[in-house]
Amino acid sequence: MPEPGEITVLLRDWSAGDPAATSHLFELVYPHLRKIAGALFRGERPENLLQPTSVVNELFLKLVRQRSLRFEDREHFYSLSARLMRRVLVDHARSEGRQKRDAGIPVPLHPDLAWIDARPAEMMDLDRVLDELDELDPRKCRMVELRFFLGFTAEETAELLSTSKATVDRELRFVRGWLGDRLRSAEA
Amino acid sequence: MTNESENWQLLQDLFHLAEATPRADRERVLTARCADERLRRRALDILEAAGEEDADQPPAPTPLLTGKIGPYTLLLHIGTGGIGSVYLVERMVGGSPQRAALKMLAPHSAGPQFIERFHREQHILGSLDHPNITRMLDAGLSDTGQPYLVMEYVDGVHLDAYCNERKLGIDERLQLFLRVCDAVAYAHRNLVVHLDLKPSNILVTADGTVKLLDFGTSKLIQPDSMFTTTVMATPAYASPEQLRNEAVTTSCDIYALGAILFELLAGARPGSSASVAILIERALREQEPDRMADAVTGPAAEQRSTTVPRLRQLLTGDLATIAQKCLSPRPKDRYPSLDSLTEDIRRYISGRPVLARPQTAFYRMGKFVRRHRLAVAASLLAALALGSSLGYAEWRQRQALREAQRAIRMQTFMVRLFKLANSENTGKPAATVPEFLELGVRRLPEYITDPADLRAAQISLAESMFQNGDIESAQKVFMQTIVSAKAAGDIEAQAESEAYGGHIAYMQGNSDLGASLTDDALRLSRKPGISPSVRVWSAIYYAWNRENMGFRSDENVRLLEYAVQESRDQKLPDRDTAAALDNLGADLELRGRLDEAERAFSEALAVYQRDPLALCDRSNDYGELAYISEMRGNPAASLQLYQQSYDGYKACSGAESRGALTELLYTCSALMKLGRAKEALPLLEGSMPAWRRIIGENPDLSDPLFFLSRAYVQTGRFADAEKTAKELVAVQEGKVAPSDRRFGASHMMWAEALAGQHRYQEALPHAEIAERLLANAISPGAKQMTAEAHQTLVEIETKLR
Repeated sequence: MPEPGEITVLLRDWSAGDPAATSHLFELVYPHLRKIAGALFRGERPENLLQPTSVVNELFLKLVRQRSLRFEDREHFYSLSARLMRRVLVDHARSEGRQKRDAGIPVPLHPDLAWIDARPAEMMDLDRVLDELDELDPRKCRMVELRFFLGFTAEETAELLSTSKATVDRELRFVRGWLGDRLRSAEA
Repeated sequence: MTNESENWQLLQDLFHLAEATPRADRERVLTARCADERLRRRALDILEAAGEEDADQPPAPTPLLTGKIGPYTLLLHIGTGGIGSVYLVERMVGGSPQRAALKMLAPHSAGPQFIERFHREQHILGSLDHPNITRMLDAGLSDTGQPYLVMEYVDGVHLDAYCNERKLGIDERLQLFLRVCDAVAYAHRNLVVHLDLKPSNILVTADGTVKLLDFGTSKLIQPDSMFTTTVMATPAYASPEQLRNEAVTTSCDIYALGAILFELLAGARPGSSASVAILIERALREQEPDRMADAVTGPAAEQRSTTVPRLRQLLTGDLATIAQKCLSPRPKDRYPSLDSLTEDIRRYISGRPVLARPQTAFYRMGKFVRRHRLAVAASLLAALALGSSLGYAEWRQRQALREAQRAIRMQTFMVRLFKLANSENTGKPAATVPEFLELGVRRLPEYITDPADLRAAQISLAESMFQNGDIESAQKVFMQTIVSAKAAGDIEAQAESEAYGGHIAYMQGNSDLGASLTDDALRLSRKPGISPSVRVWSAIYYAWNRENMGFRSDENVRLLEYAVQESRDQKLPDRDTAAALDNLGADLELRGRLDEAERAFSEALAVYQRDPLALCDRSNDYGELAYISEMRGNPAASLQLYQQSYDGYKACSGAESRGALTELLYTCSALMKLGRAKEALPLLEGSMPAWRRIIGENPDLSDPLFFLSRAYVQTGRFADAEKTAKELVAVQEGKVAPSDRRFGASHMMWAEALAGQHRYQEALPHAEIAERLLANAISPGAKQMTAEAHQTLVEIETKLR
């Protein structure tokens, strides 16, 4: 694992608008998280409910271990974490190999982080459609990542994005519908 | 799709518009808003897709296992919890079916050393024998290599559901919570922490029995080393240090119990429904917990058979303080042990002020001290007794010299020592017990070379010093033997030295050191291979220290009951049994359980009556029996017993010994209750110089000064009473806590002295302080004080009206 101090510097650069910092951060933190996710998935059974949150937990401990990272820049920090989580899961799905896709799959998003139950194919499709969303409306993509990949509550998501819970609920209703529609048309 | 970005905002507007419009009107309303038919279609498709989501399929059903796992036949799927699915299973044991609960664990939850770990832990887990803790029965790997645990099956519902279904009020919930705490405390005493306590791990059966699940599971489940997170606790109940991935201790369980208490009382979890991410952030920031009162909702109040304002009010005072203390982000700010937590809750339930701080009941101060004065008086007779008539056999037994060889070496030493003491070798013969013992300690190393033997001998001599009243010398030796025993890994000697050393430390005024030593002694004494005598004395001194520090838990009583039973079962010397009985009696007496206390003292007395040397101990029991009579409102009977006790002490340890002086004090108290203050006054005045000599100017002088001022009041010498009351407050000032009951008693005397001089205006504030400080009482003696303080205040207020 990288030194927490290093991460802090990168985070600062990142929040200052240095695009290179993002990829650096990923490189630093990612491999470890990937291994953890792998260990979690090895179970591959519903008993595997053991802590989807473990990944989140690990991520935080790695990033904020020495408390050298201040929470002044929470928005960046959490947005980055959420993005990392998404990446971890998608890459895991990819490595699991392409499986035959069932029809009529719902969007594998669930407020209880049940994405861990999603099959690899679903996860990869979702990832692709989320990329589309990110281009169209980065803020909504962030909302999805926070809410469904990092497991934020609607209130917490709203607070971080300086908006209201009603707005988050409302926008997410649209986004879920939109994602579902896009996935369905990808099926067809 | 290519122009999605152009119409992005419009698409959203249409979606929300459609969402807000009844289905029948949608076409019309949307057309009015947007002419593009294709876009309207998209919006409705998205809405339909969103609707599908809302229908929210139940999570994919768990593929349930059937058939057999190892020797267990699966009967019923009971549930799926944090760490796996649980089944009701059956196994044939000796031809009859036996039911149990089997928990399948995720493969990665256990790691490769699972079975090995189980067997290593099994002797600890197997020793957890408590009616409120489910037993771990077995562990294994299924044919497919999946680890499983088998435990006692409990037919019950989760704690929170049980309370809510029955709409239990706050007090009933606290009672259940206390049972949970007692079970966890039991496990802690056996060195087992739970680390994943939560309402769903606590079942309540139909008859109201609480059962804790999954004790020890946390130790068995250690996932792959890749996880730095040591504990897979449920985040909502996990302590900040668990979330921070730091060392876990019993304090984690105290935190979790705080979270459970919070939810049980307020109906929501602390940190309400924060996500794991935010919970971790709070842990890292060491954020203080939420307030219970803020979490209260209408439904929660209804489930507690009360109203929102009432529930808020209940959860603002002491209960809020208790929960807050458990949920403190830093372990050092939490309750140091479960006993202190349960004690505060018991205090709350019984309406006493919640305070886990040392507090000694005014009336009983002297009593604790004299409890352990043994009959070995400072005389040559006693010295002889120690070596001969007190008995070699008893020496051997008492001092836990387990091996016969060692015993023989000790005997040789004793014989040599007597020769030395009486010969010209030392310049002059040892004439007193202290000299004799000093000599023994000094010369021991010359005779005993084996370090363990030497330690045992040193401890024996130190115990004799202690029983002889020379606590400073005894303590010096114990502190040495603690160090050497620890270094040598001699658990038995360490436990024994710590038990006595801790007891003496408390008597010397170092209660923190005392508590930590007796805590450790108790812990060590539960290890295998410790002799019964050390087990019994560790329990006695632990209870004694806790009791005197103000932690009056039921655990103390239980430990002393254990000590009595164990010393009888193991046929320890009668004196050990009697000492345990005396301690038990005193604790029962303080709790107002006078009949049981009387029985314990009488049984102890019967033991001492068989022993001609036990005069002081007999006197102690007469004093205790006298006190019980006094509490029952029978001053005549108590007077006689007090006199008997006083005479005994006078004979065994001298008229100016603390024991004799204390009994004289109580004799005077009984005289005053009989309206014979005129006789009591000269006795009290006469004993004051002796008191001052043996105690000096410190709070221990409270007892004699209190009774003296009372005697002045009752004989109408109010100016003298006032002077004495002032001195009483002065010796306490700065040395006892401002909320100490002893202050209350002092101010009560002050108020009575002033009122006697018709200075009601001046008396009023003193009476008010007294009334407040003496308000809550539990022991019968303290209750009488409460009544008197109240009466005094009322009378003064009447005069002023």
